[in-house]
Formats: sequence, structure tokens, C-alpha cells
Amino acid sequence: MNVNFHISPELGSLLVVLLPFAGFLYQLIAGKQARSGLIPSLAMLVSGLISVAFVFPAIWNKTPFSVELEWFTIGQYSLGFGLHLNNLSVLMQLVVCLIALPVHFYSKHYMKNDPGIHRYWTFLSLFCTAMLGLTIASNLFMMYVFWELIGFASYLLIGFWFDRPAAVQANKKAFIINRIGDLGFLLGIAAVFTTYGSLNLLDLFGPDGLVRGTSPLSEGWATFTGCCFLLAAMAKSAQFPLHVWLPDAMEGPTSVSSLIHAATMVAAGVFLLSSIFPIFNQTVLLLTAIIGCFTALIAALFALTQHDIKKILAFSTVSQLGYMIASIGMGAWDAAMLHLTTHAFFKCLLFLGAGAIIHELAHFKSNSGLNFDPQNIQFMGGLRRFMPKTFLLMTVAALALAGFPLTSGFLSKDAILVHSFQWAQQAGGGTLLIPLTLSVVSVLTAFYIGRMIIKVFMGRFHFQKETEQTPIQEATSGMLLPMGFLALGSLAIGFSLHPLSYHQAYILTGLSAATIATESSLIPIVLPIILTLSAAAGWWLGWYWYIRQRYPFSESNKWIAWSANQGYLNQAYERAITNSTLRLSTFTYWIDRNLVDGLVHLSVWFTRQLAFTSAWIDRYLVDGLVNTTAALAYQIGHLLRGVQNGRLQNYLGFAFTILLIGIVYLIFK
Amino acid sequence: MITLTHFLLVSAALFCIGMYAIIAKRNAIMILVGIEFIINAAILNLVAFSRYDRAEYGGQIFALFAIVLAAAAVAVGLAIILSVYRKHQTINPDKITDLRD
Repeated sequence: MNVNFHISPELGSLLVVLLPFAGFLYQLIAGKQARSGLIPSLAMLVSGLISVAFVFPAIWNKTPFSVELEWFTIGQYSLGFGLHLNNLSVLMQLVVCLIALPVHFYSKHYMKNDPGIHRYWTFLSLFCTAMLGLTIASNLFMMYVFWELIGFASYLLIGFWFDRPAAVQANKKAFIINRIGDLGFLLGIAAVFTTYGSLNLLDLFGPDGLVRGTSPLSEGWATFTGCCFLLAAMAKSAQFPLHVWLPDAMEGPTSVSSLIHAATMVAAGVFLLSSIFPIFNQTVLLLTAIIGCFTALIAALFALTQHDIKKILAFSTVSQLGYMIASIGMGAWDAAMLHLTTHAFFKCLLFLGAGAIIHELAHFKSNSGLNFDPQNIQFMGGLRRFMPKTFLLMTVAALALAGFPLTSGFLSKDAILVHSFQWAQQAGGGTLLIPLTLSVVSVLTAFYIGRMIIKVFMGRFHFQKETEQTPIQEATSGMLLPMGFLALGSLAIGFSLHPLSYHQAYILTGLSAATIATESSLIPIVLPIILTLSAAAGWWLGWYWYIRQRYPFSESNKWIAWSANQGYLNQAYERAITNSTLRLSTFTYWIDRNLVDGLVHLSVWFTRQLAFTSAWIDRYLVDGLVNTTAALAYQIGHLLRGVQNGRLQNYLGFAFTILLIGIVYLIFK
Repeated sequence: MITLTHFLLVSAALFCIGMYAIIAKRNAIMILVGIEFIINAAILNLVAFSRYDRAEYGGQIFALFAIVLAAAAVAVGLAIILSVYRKHQTINPDKITDLRD
């Protein structure tokens, strides 16, 4: 490479967005010919390189950059389009690039031989474009455009196997729930515009922006604005009670799940809340913290008993997103972004590993002729003998998720937890519940991910005998290499020079929400030790229960069933919303059928009767009069035409008779 | 003595006979004859009333003209009957109804 070769950060960030878009266009035009996915992968690779080499170093901890051109004007207000580059946006763009890149290469092997693979690459490129565009959008309206695009692209990807009814149901569900969030976003934009008269991110949230400068119209209005954006983030980031779409979204290809439903799309909500953080007042923040905390707890409880390996990971994602949202609610959006980044790596890795296992088990299933669900962990076990590399990589990711020291998860989770305790100390009152709940969730997380690893890789394989004829293969290197890259990203050393202290994490120092209090207590020292020990205890318990066959609960246990059925939330929604909607539509259908149509039918009947009457009148009265006249004239004419018979003698006779009568009349007058 | 009334009665009788012949006969020749009757009835009236014009005898002179004209009319009538016969092969007026509608 030429030494003088240089791309300015604004052009670079634009290229990062446009290259996947070019890939998308290429896929669209080439259609079924473009099955290799080479162009989209290359585009993503170049995007990632530009982001790493030119955009991130030029902006990170240096001057932010913002440019906006006029797009269109309505009245005296004009909307612009442009770029907004600061620490937060270039970090997010980098994370998206770094996660999307291995997923692209993994997909090349994972999706090989799928008949619709050209569609897959098209949708994936569209999704990457939307996500990357969201990160550098210069105003809220542009963000909204990309936000919608993300939702649409994920709809396409979840329903990628559209011949499966479950996938179609799932993408419909995801789309509808995301629409609820979109409504919140739109209302929020309107509220912000009403208050501040601008949508530009720099104008609003810059160092001396409008949000800090002007006081809101009223406290209630500020709360409303915040709640709107919170709703948007809740739908996109799958927060209770709008989280139901995410577990169902696992119907898409696993590589898609890893990219969208673990690392990037669901992070959009967190990113949104972080970038507009100053707009929230205390009420909204507390609400955010409570929702995040509750989501983290309930999703962790659901994850405990799931049997589908992807469902476990999906609920784990929901739970970790709850962590991030709660962290934002407690003011530590920098810690949330740190957790977002670390979580992106290890959750993506977990999903890719799960994809590799499902892929190989599906091969085993078709080779051996057995009939079982390759996603169900009941049928797994002992896979470490067949897939040692996958086992190693997934264990790294699982340890990171559980928050063991030396992993990235340890840093970010501790950052959040320590901050939450300090926040609760300052806030006082019942707020202590939140850090305590988050700590419990942390232990639960360690247990369920330990359970998953143990049930999948340890013990004895369910179909041990059959493996003698048809052994299970290790994943191909094309799949293992991207996973290895992600595993590197799951280690603490990538995020902080001091692998046990989050205070040195680059991301925290770069974002510096400046809310984390100084170390004035024992919490930052004691808490990580307690959590690590309890996480280890969770893993031991998983081993003890599942490998030593000491599982104490029966399947019919009420709590186990509650958790396995995801708290019956889907059923509750089914009953409360779907059924009531159906009933409402049945009712309106009835109204339409009987009242509206009835009215129409009545007026039709009435008009018909009127028409019949007037037809009768016309036929028998009006026409009758005319016909009578005509008939009369005809009859009279007929009566007299006999006279004109052409016989001259008769004529003369008549004439003479009349003459005679005249004469007689004259005589006897 | 023969009075004017007698003349008029004869004339009326002639007229009536002629009228009957015209209306009732089935032969065009007989109708022509009926016409002659009526003309002669009129001539008889002219002659009868000419007694009141002894100076000029205008009535009798007019009667002479009328006789000449009647002869000419008969000639024309016979010619018409001849051509009608050529056309219709009959001279029964009942069967010649070209004048009807």
C-alpha cells in the first residue's frame, strides 16, 4: 500500500455504508447467478478495513465530525442528510463491521447448497447497509429511515425459509412488534421537533446542544418524549413485554441469528438510547432501569429450562440486553456500550458455534437415518469428542457470557454491576433491588450457559451407537476461522490493558459518561470475587445435576413448566391481544355484514321496489294512456277505412246521400 | 194544361233514374247512360224555365250547347271505358278499385 494512501474519515465512513449497499445492488441485479456471495463478502471486508484503518482511528478520542446537507424544506423547517461521527458512532460502526465480517465468511460455508442463497446474500447486504447507516446518521429522521430498513431487512431474513410456516409466523411477529417500536420512535421524533425545532444530533446533543441549553416545555412532556424513545428501544432491543419476537426469530438461518439477533440489530435500541441519552429525565431513566432489570431477570429464568439450543441463546440475548438497558437507565451508557461490544463478540460466537453443531448434527441425522431435532440439547452430549475445536471456542464464549475473569464479559458485566451498586447507594430507597436482581441474573446466566455447554459437550452422546457407522464431523475450517476471530474478541485483553479492571477499558475512557463514581468502597473489589465464585458454583451445579444425573426437579414441576413455556407470555398475548383482535374483527365483520351491508341491501331493496312501482306506473298508466289514444285513433280509422274502398259508385252514393240529408235538413229546418 | 211543375216532376224522375243507374249498375256503359239521363233532366229544366225568357230564349240556346257538350262527353266517356277495359279486362266498376288507399 502506498504510504500516501489516505481516506478522510467522512469519506471512509460513507464508503463503509455504501460498499455493502453496492453489494446489495449487485446481488439484486445478478439474481440467481450470484450464489457465491463473493462480492458482498469482499464489500464487507473492504468496509471493515476502512473502518479499522481510517475511520475509527481518525475520530476516536479526537474531534467529532459532523456535516449535513439540505435534503428538503417544509415551510421554514428544513431536513438534512449527512454524517455524524463521534466516539459513539465510530465505535458502533466498527463493532458492526467486525461482527458482520466473520458472519459473512461463516455464511459462505454454512449456507452452501441452500437453493435460495442468492436471496440470502441480498438480504444480508441490505441489513448491513441499514445497520451501518444507522450508526453514522446525522439526524433523528435519517436514523428512523435506517431503523425501519433494519426492521424490514430482519423481516426478510427471519422469513428466509418462507416455506416453513413457523418462519412465516415468526417474521410476521417480529415485524408487527417492531412496528410498535417504530411508532414510539416516530412520536419521539415529533416530540423532539416540537420542543427543540431541530433533529440534528450535533445541534441537539452536542457539548453545548439544545437539550442541555433549553429547558423542556414541561416535566410531563419530557417524560413523554423519553418514553417514546424508550418504547422504540424496547421493541428493537427486545425488552419485556415486547421481547416475544426475539426467541421466535430463531426460525431464521443461524448465521442470521448470530448477526441480527445477537450482535447488531438488537443493539440498535441500546445505541439509540446511548446517542440521545441527555434527553431522558429522571423518571424515564428509572423506568428504563426497572424495565431492563426485569427483562434481564425474566429472560434468564426462561433460559434456564429451554431445550432448543437457539432458544437458550435467544433468551440469553434478551437477558443481556436487559443488562444494557438497565445500565443506561442508571446513567452508565458507557458501560452499556462496553457490554454491547463485548456481548456482540461472545454472543455471535455462541450462535456461530450453535450453528456449527446444528449443521453437523443435521448431516449426522440425514446420514444415519435417525429422526430427531438437531437443535434439541436433549439429544446432544459428549460432542467434545467429535468437535473439539468447536467445544473450545464455545467454552471461551460461554465463560465470557458467565463473566469469568480474563474474559471480556467479566469487564463489562462488572462495570455495570459495580456502577449499579454505587448508583443505588446514591439513589437510596428501594433502588437497591435493581443491583441485587442484576447480581442474581448474573448467577443465573452462569448456570444456564453452563448447563448448555455441559449438556451439549459433556457426558455421553444420545446416539452413541450410531456414531460408529456415521461419525460426526468437526466443523469445516471455513466456519472455525471466523469463530476463532470472534473468540479472540471475547478475551479481556482486546478491551483493556489490565484484564481484571474495567477502569482501563478503552471504550469506557473514550465514551466517559463520567457518572461512575470513584472507588470509595469495597464493592469494586468484593463484588467481582463473589460473582466469579457464584458463577463457578453455577457451573458446578450444572455439572452435578446433568452429568451426575442428580437433577432434582420433575418435568411437571409448576415452576419448570412456567419457565419452559416462557412464562406463558405468548399464550397471554395470544389470548389478550390476538384473540381480542380477532374477536373485534369478527364483530366488525358482523357489523359490516349485517349493518353496513344490511343498510345497502335495504336501500337496494327499497330502490328496487320503487323502481318496480314506477315501472308499473309507466307501463300501465303512462304507456296505457298513450296506447289507449293510439288504439282509439286506430279503431276510428279502422272504422272509417272501409268507406274508402276505391269503388267510385259507393263514393258517389255516399256523397249523394249526404247531399240529400243536407237538403232534407234545409227543408225541415 | 201542362204546367212547369209537370216538367219539373219529369225532370226529377229522369234525375232519379239516372242517379240509380250510376250508383247501382254493374256496367260502365249503363253508368254512361245514367249520366245522359241526368244531363237530359238538367236540359229539360233549362228548357222549362226558359218560358220566363221569351225575349232571348237563353235557356233553350244553353240547352243546345248542353246537348252538344253531352255528346262530346259521351264520346270521351266511351274512350275512357275502352282504355279501362284494355287495362283491367273488365268494365264492372265494382272490380276496379285502384282509387282506394
